[in-house]
Amino acid sequence: MTNTAISVDKLNVSFGDSHVVKDLSFEVRKGESYGLVGESGSGKSTVLRVLSGLNREWSGTVAIEGAVQPKARDKAFYRNVQMVFQDPYGSLHPKKTVDDTLAEPLAIHGLDNAEARIGKALSDVGLPASFRFRYPHQLSGGQRQRVAIARALVLEPSILLLDEPTSALDVSIQAEVLNLLAALRQERKLTYILVSHDLSVVGHMCERLLVMQFGRAVEEMTVETLAARQPQTAYAQQLLTASAGFRRAG
Amino acid sequence: MASEQPLLEVDNLKVDFHTPTGIVRAVRGLSFTLGRERLGIVGESGSGKSMTGRAILDLIPHPGVVSADRMRFRGQDLTAMDKGARRKLRGRHISMVMQDPKFSLNPVETVGSQIAEAYRIHRKAGAKEARERSLAMLEQVQIREPARVYDLYPHEVSGGMGQRVMIAMMLIAEPEVLIADEPTSALDVTVQLQILKILDDLVTERGMGLIFISHDLHLVQSFCDRVIVMYGGKVMETLPAAELADPAARSRRHPYTLGLLECLPDLGHPRAKLATLNRDPAWLA
Repeated sequence: MTNTAISVDKLNVSFGDSHVVKDLSFEVRKGESYGLVGESGSGKSTVLRVLSGLNREWSGTVAIEGAVQPKARDKAFYRNVQMVFQDPYGSLHPKKTVDDTLAEPLAIHGLDNAEARIGKALSDVGLPASFRFRYPHQLSGGQRQRVAIARALVLEPSILLLDEPTSALDVSIQAEVLNLLAALRQERKLTYILVSHDLSVVGHMCERLLVMQFGRAVEEMTVETLAARQPQTAYAQQLLTASAGFRRAG
Repeated sequence: MASEQPLLEVDNLKVDFHTPTGIVRAVRGLSFTLGRERLGIVGESGSGKSMTGRAILDLIPHPGVVSADRMRFRGQDLTAMDKGARRKLRGRHISMVMQDPKFSLNPVETVGSQIAEAYRIHRKAGAKEARERSLAMLEQVQIREPARVYDLYPHEVSGGMGQRVMIAMMLIAEPEVLIADEPTSALDVTVQLQILKILDDLVTERGMGLIFISHDLHLVQSFCDRVIVMYGGKVMETLPAAELADPAARSRRHPYTLGLLECLPDLGHPRAKLATLNRDPAWLA
């Protein structure tokens, strides 16, 4: 039990008439990096929103580190589980400096020594201390995503939920952010759930992954199976083939 | 084929933006020719790839200034033309598909009437003929029930369908050159391949010239014939697309191209740490 970071059992989510997550079950071990893969509308982001407590309309069982979670989470939960969003242009308040952004979670959780914590969070994500009093529009996309990661890390969580953290970034910046995430995980023994449509990013970052389609789990596989291009199901095979690029018939 | 006049000839194209804080040089001396082929332009954000497409169409916004030693479309000198003449070319002979259907379609008009409008304007056709042509065009871009989709508003169609509507609208006047600016980057991989197939058929069957602007090296390599690699508004190199993946051609590659290729995670070759790009200021000198 203690070895399981996240366990989801028979999760169902509906928005009105549309049933977007259907009987989904999976487990993530402590320290593991787990990928959720699928096309738009497959429900992968919805799963993250349920896990993070952003979406309260669901049924099933969600347990974090052995503790079954209610719909409304307590403060300790939010300190332990943090999320990084897809769009670094939309997820930072445009009128707040980096310092304000990082100070807010500390104030909410009543943590002392904010000064030192903010300084450390910035240096952990490789941003110079001089960036502390900049506004988001004075930062590049990659720097903004680093601030978003710093905001998540400043509370010293053990689980990070990553929703397409690099899909809005150039490949060279993507490489830097992925390296940063990999190094942080190793250093702090973090558990990741990474949602992505890019199979090569998931292959690089994760040990296991779950392929989803229309809200259902299609196939869970190890990254070795992915690298060997030997999934069991036709849909997973189709995704792999499509992501290999364009092929002219004949 | 070789003796045929190229569709587009561009020599030393420059786009400058005169801002209060100085001149921003978005494109710095780009030269290329386009035949009946798929030409890829790749680069990171800010490399000037989209500005190149816009400059050809005369769509650079104020305070941008376009200059070129030569810019010809099928032998006609674009630099000597006035705004009106450029507008007559635009849409009819040279067309552009934008990245995001959500922001490029008129939200308060049905998609069908938007396609028909493009046909009526460029072909001076009547309403009935335009409607028939539009339905046929929707079918050609693999939309299953054209008559139903014709009457839908943009918010009622999916991203993939919206992009196909855009392509239908741009192609209905049968342009000789199509500039596609990241036409598939907002789409799922499987839909992406369907859109590419449509573009591919147009090049092979109708002999259209296609400029394919993208940041996706894998896609460009598998789809295009030739690739221009841009960085900071300058061309780093132009190469046959097949050579991007060819390990034997590595030593001939520009360090920037190599750097871009190496920072991509690769399923077949897992690495503990991804390479990051070291930018050399000399590339922009």
